[in-house]
Amino acid sequence: MAPSTLDRKRKAVTRDVPEHSDIESEAEFGDGLLEGILSQSEDSEGDSGDEEEDSEDEEAEELDELEALDSDEIPSENGEAEADGLNGDSVNSKSAQDMVKSILGDQQTLEDEQDIPNYTVVADANGGERYVYEEINPVYDSDDSDAAVAENTIGNIPLSFYDSYPHIGYDINGKKILRPAKGEALDALLDSIDIPKGWTGLTDPATGKPLNLSQDELEILRRIQTNELPEDGYDPYPATVEYFTGIEEKMPLSAAPEPKRRFLPSKHEAKRVMKIVRAIREGRIMPYRPPEEQKEEDEEVHYDIWQDEQPRPDHVMNIPAPKMAPPGYDMSYNPPPEYLPTKAEKQAWESTDAEDREKEYLPTSYDSLRKVPGYEKFINERFERSLDLYLAPRVRKNRLNIDPASLLPKLPRPEELKPFPTVCSTLFRGHEGRVRSLAIDPSGVWLASGGDDGTVRVWELLTGRQLWSAKIGDDEAVNVVRWRPGRDAVILSAGAGEDIYLLAPPIVDPETDAASREILDHGFGHATNATQTLTANGARKEPVAKWTRPGTRLEDEGVLIKITVRTTVKVISWHRRGDFFSTVSPTAQRSAVAIHTLSKHLTQIPFRRLPGIAQTVQFHPSRPLFFVATQRTIRSYDLQKQELVKIIQPGARWISSFDIHPGGDNLIVGSYDRRLLWHDLDLSTRPYKTMRFHNKAIRAVKYHKGGFPLFADASDDGSLQIFHGKVVSDLMENATIVPVKVLKGHKVKSALGVMDIDWHPKEPWCVSAGADERET
Amino acid sequence: MARIKKKGVTGQAKNFITRTQAVRKLQISLPDFRKLCIWKGIYPREPRNKKKASKSSSASTTFYYTKDIQYLLHEPLLQKFREQKALEKKIAKALGRGDGHDAQRLERNASRPEKTGKTKYTLDHVIRERYPTFIDALRDLDDCLSMLFLFANLPSTPTVPAKMIARCERLCLEFEHYLIVSHSLRKSFLSIKGIYYQATIQGQDILWLVPYRFNQRVTGDVDFRIMGTFVEFYQTLLGFVNFRLYTSVGLVYPPKFDKARDDLGAELGAFSLEGNGVGAIEQPKQITNGENKAPDPKLQAEIDKLMSQLNNVEKEPEEESATKQITDGDDEGEDEEMPTDTIDKFEPAAPGGDILLQPSYSATDPSTLFANFTFFLSRETPRQPLEFILRAFGCKRIAWDAVLGEGAYTHNELDPSITHQIVDRPPIQVDPDNEATTEDNQTAQKLQPGSRVPGRIYVQPQWIWDCVNDEELKRPDLYAPGAQLPPHLSPFVKKVRGQYDPSAPLNEQEREDEELEVDSEEEEEEDVEEDDMAVQKPKLLTNAEIDETAEGMDIAGSDDDEDEEDASEGEGSFGGFSDAEDEEEDEATSAALQRQRELEAELTGAQVEEKVIDAKANAKKKAAKKAKEEDEELERAKMMMSRKKRKILEKMVYSNKKKDAEAEGLRSKRRKIEKGGKGAARA
Repeated sequence: MAPSTLDRKRKAVTRDVPEHSDIESEAEFGDGLLEGILSQSEDSEGDSGDEEEDSEDEEAEELDELEALDSDEIPSENGEAEADGLNGDSVNSKSAQDMVKSILGDQQTLEDEQDIPNYTVVADANGGERYVYEEINPVYDSDDSDAAVAENTIGNIPLSFYDSYPHIGYDINGKKILRPAKGEALDALLDSIDIPKGWTGLTDPATGKPLNLSQDELEILRRIQTNELPEDGYDPYPATVEYFTGIEEKMPLSAAPEPKRRFLPSKHEAKRVMKIVRAIREGRIMPYRPPEEQKEEDEEVHYDIWQDEQPRPDHVMNIPAPKMAPPGYDMSYNPPPEYLPTKAEKQAWESTDAEDREKEYLPTSYDSLRKVPGYEKFINERFERSLDLYLAPRVRKNRLNIDPASLLPKLPRPEELKPFPTVCSTLFRGHEGRVRSLAIDPSGVWLASGGDDGTVRVWELLTGRQLWSAKIGDDEAVNVVRWRPGRDAVILSAGAGEDIYLLAPPIVDPETDAASREILDHGFGHATNATQTLTANGARKEPVAKWTRPGTRLEDEGVLIKITVRTTVKVISWHRRGDFFSTVSPTAQRSAVAIHTLSKHLTQIPFRRLPGIAQTVQFHPSRPLFFVATQRTIRSYDLQKQELVKIIQPGARWISSFDIHPGGDNLIVGSYDRRLLWHDLDLSTRPYKTMRFHNKAIRAVKYHKGGFPLFADASDDGSLQIFHGKVVSDLMENATIVPVKVLKGHKVKSALGVMDIDWHPKEPWCVSAGADERET
Repeated sequence: MARIKKKGVTGQAKNFITRTQAVRKLQISLPDFRKLCIWKGIYPREPRNKKKASKSSSASTTFYYTKDIQYLLHEPLLQKFREQKALEKKIAKALGRGDGHDAQRLERNASRPEKTGKTKYTLDHVIRERYPTFIDALRDLDDCLSMLFLFANLPSTPTVPAKMIARCERLCLEFEHYLIVSHSLRKSFLSIKGIYYQATIQGQDILWLVPYRFNQRVTGDVDFRIMGTFVEFYQTLLGFVNFRLYTSVGLVYPPKFDKARDDLGAELGAFSLEGNGVGAIEQPKQITNGENKAPDPKLQAEIDKLMSQLNNVEKEPEEESATKQITDGDDEGEDEEMPTDTIDKFEPAAPGGDILLQPSYSATDPSTLFANFTFFLSRETPRQPLEFILRAFGCKRIAWDAVLGEGAYTHNELDPSITHQIVDRPPIQVDPDNEATTEDNQTAQKLQPGSRVPGRIYVQPQWIWDCVNDEELKRPDLYAPGAQLPPHLSPFVKKVRGQYDPSAPLNEQEREDEELEVDSEEEEEEDVEEDDMAVQKPKLLTNAEIDETAEGMDIAGSDDDEDEEDASEGEGSFGGFSDAEDEEEDEATSAALQRQRELEAELTGAQVEEKVIDAKANAKKKAAKKAKEEDEELERAKMMMSRKKRKILEKMVYSNKKKDAEAEGLRSKRRKIEKGGKGAARA
């Protein structure tokens, strides 16, 4: 169908446009169109059928384009036909049916034509089917028309292969070419006796017939043999035809007389000659002189090239070549004797490669000038210099020609930084195993310590005498000891395992002792109330911590309260007023940080979730801020507004401890990855100074709280480093940090050195806890 | 969003161009490019980031500044190169066709500088471009002079045509003549490489090196084409500089050159200078590129002085006209002007003002250092440098042996006017009887070898150089023939604190505790060595004795010391042992003797020694403590530095330490030498 519609469409396109505009007459026009198609198809059935088939694909492709072209027309036609059918308009429907029929018929005829086979089925020798195709009848102007008719198609195969067959090959149609009939052997013999003219005895491979030469061919052969020209009628020596010769014509081509100028000397030439003559007379043209002499004559001209010199500033990028270094003393022909190389130096110079030598010459002394030889490498050095001048890339390099001492930062003298701890004055021996924690009490008289042996000991700081000891952890180490701030009472807190103990060591006068016991006991009424909280479903919630009395044995020793939390307590940090303290148990999931109220025996968990493992906490020394250190960051929270204030990012991998400057604006952070970081809280969340002077992890850092600008850190490498860190109240000035002293006294035991450190509240003394000793 | 910047169109990628790209852009061959670079003073650069600068993935080695190459694009020389190339092609084509005549005709147009020494092009404009002012040219004269002086002393080869050498020589001699006339040579130094000269012209210090007159060793790895390109440029440059210099002192350039005299080896004497009748060009202002805007007053004063001296010299009688004829046209008495040119001394009128520094004059004028002397150069001395240096420092009459060439004041060694004779030969001991007999049949010219003309000073050549460098006449007896010369020191070394200075006494430049350290070290050494010394001692002594006897026999030995002694003491101590000789001999054994003495002292009075040791140990301890403290301090300070600064500091400390170690090595060597000398003296 496609081709026919296409034809129609083509027609439609070629027809005049106004016809389509008349919609009413469209059906008739449609008829006419269809008829035209039919006739056309009938006409072209015979010859254009093939072409149409061939071009079907192309046309199918073109169809889209064409459709796009007459998109107004064709759908409307079809649609109208359909609509007419629906309306039941007989004439129109008839015509439409006609149209359909005719189209169908048209198609059928086409299909019929295509279905006629061009072969006949014949039974072959075996009785099977055999298709015998019609002979292809090339049309007159087919390509094959001028091909040889009965050409043997066997190709480049020796004819002898076909000796046993009756045929000698196949023609272009696959038909056997039968061997031409040969006469009897006798006939053949006769033939051979009676050799016809032009007989060669050869067989034409193309035809299989005997190859005979014609008369002409024989004639050519004869001519070649007799050294004659092979072609007949060719004249190698034709007679000269004299087209342009000296034969004088009788009549001149032009009858004009010879002009006068032919007989007169040229004026132009005379002019030119005169010009030359004049030039020679005037001396403009010199007689010839050999060029060599001229070259000898002309000297280079000298003039003042800087006659009108104009200073021109150098281009910014221009780098003038550096001058050669002037010779030193050692280059003298007679240098001072100390410049002469010793034997070893000489040998070293001679044994090194010429390129590696520091100097290209060896200082030599000659006792008189006449003994000085020529310098062997003179030309080479000059050559090197010229190479340097044009080949060496030039770079401007700033050479710092200053005293290196000026680069060093101006540090105050250590004498000016005094006092700071310098020597170990007291050793406190008594603990078995490691001392995990220590603290000096607010009055600065006693030192409390706790260690792996589960005891808490209180020492006299100045003498190193042990005053009191209590074994609180039965099988657990005392992880932390801290004094309660404030001079009104003497209360020590200690963490061993999951228990926090509040102790009132009996080392003070009775009044103070009583006061401290009173403070501790005061909250027992509140505690019960506080633990009565219920969960949402009504079940009694497990209290976060239990405040109990530790039992009579311990109570006698002065241990008054035992607070049991869920996991091991590692850090205790007191609020400056002494009513709150916070504990950290890093292993706990939710209750890692707990804040305990001493007066109410109340424990609260301020954070339900923390980003990371809580390491340590601190109360701000003056403001209601609470600092929590996780592994990577330190967060400060406002306790009143209950919101996050700041996240400090020291950049350490694992913070071990931190401390807040008594001024409250600076922070030091120690980390397990050997860094000590000073933060200025006003400046940035990043460290102001990073100090990496330890070889091992830093365990503890502490500021001096009593007015000295000192801070110290304790590391696993067994050393304490004391720094001078002065904070100026002026906002414009940064803190000055000066390393002051490295104290080494602790031995490293199982990769642990100094565990904890604390400063005396007033004096520039510090104590540290190590494997088994402390120092001031 | 801003437009995305294309890569490689701005910044370093655009500012730098590789050599290959440059050559392509200019469309010339690599040798031509090299020539252009040399003449125009274009050199490769080091981009700050090589990766950014190069567009290719492979690492290019040489980068040029793109603007430099752009500037080459308009170079007229480029056109000349192209013309030459086209001509070469034509010649090659003609030869290929077998058209000899045509080739010859074309060949006539071609420039063959290697044959003729002349080129088709001139480099004048290049000079003008590279050196916009004369001062700029002077500043760049170091390499120029070194190169031309070297080429003046080279033998001619196919690559170095004789004409080039001759021209170099002429230019150099002309320049020397200017220095002589203007007295601008300042210093000179005899090194193992050659002779360094330093001149100061218009405030610019020019330092160049002249090789000793020997056949230069030419190795295969020297490309004379490159050197030749440089020489071509330098010749042009020095030609213009010479012209300017000559005209500035009122001389005609080029000076008259007497070929006949030059063939006789007159060298400097082959030129005759003439005044140009205009007089010295007054330099109204010195044009510089703003680096030293204000002319150095001291220098100006010196130049003025020189100018006045020059005029004085020209008026002097025709005595020196044999060597150079300076006939100056203007005989205006400029003596009145002289005092006004010099700087007045400002004395503070009232106390309380700041004291401003003023240049001071040296007592003796260096340009007249040798003015009153007549020198005679022996035939073994290097004539050229001596003649130049003597003339440059005011000497008018220089005589030399006839073998040294033409141009001498006289060839007669016995001329009575000669005051100084420069000798560089070992003194020969002459039998007095023999001398007496030969005195009679001597010619007037020839002198008996070894004998001396009375009334004149004999010195070695180094005397001249040391006098010149110190701007004073040195004691000639130190430089007498055969004497052990004092060390010849480089005048170009600037004295830097902390660096070793051989002219200063040792204890002045030592650190406080250096001697102490060294002593202690030596003591330790002594302790170790004492035993074997004791064993060795007798042997050494016998050796010395043997040596002494041997020396006593050897009369005709050419020992310098011996001869010196002879000269000073007369003929009394012939063949005997002079004191100095003894000293030398004992030098070797002195150390052993001293140790022996110390041993004895130890045996008798051990206590005295111990005390000394105690004090020393204390001092040592203190020093060590101090050093330790300082170390700690440094360590603390370093802890507070940033890593970058610390690295800079460490580098500086390293280099300083290296320098210090060098200086200390020299000091310790000298200490050893001095001790050795002292020990010998004591013995």
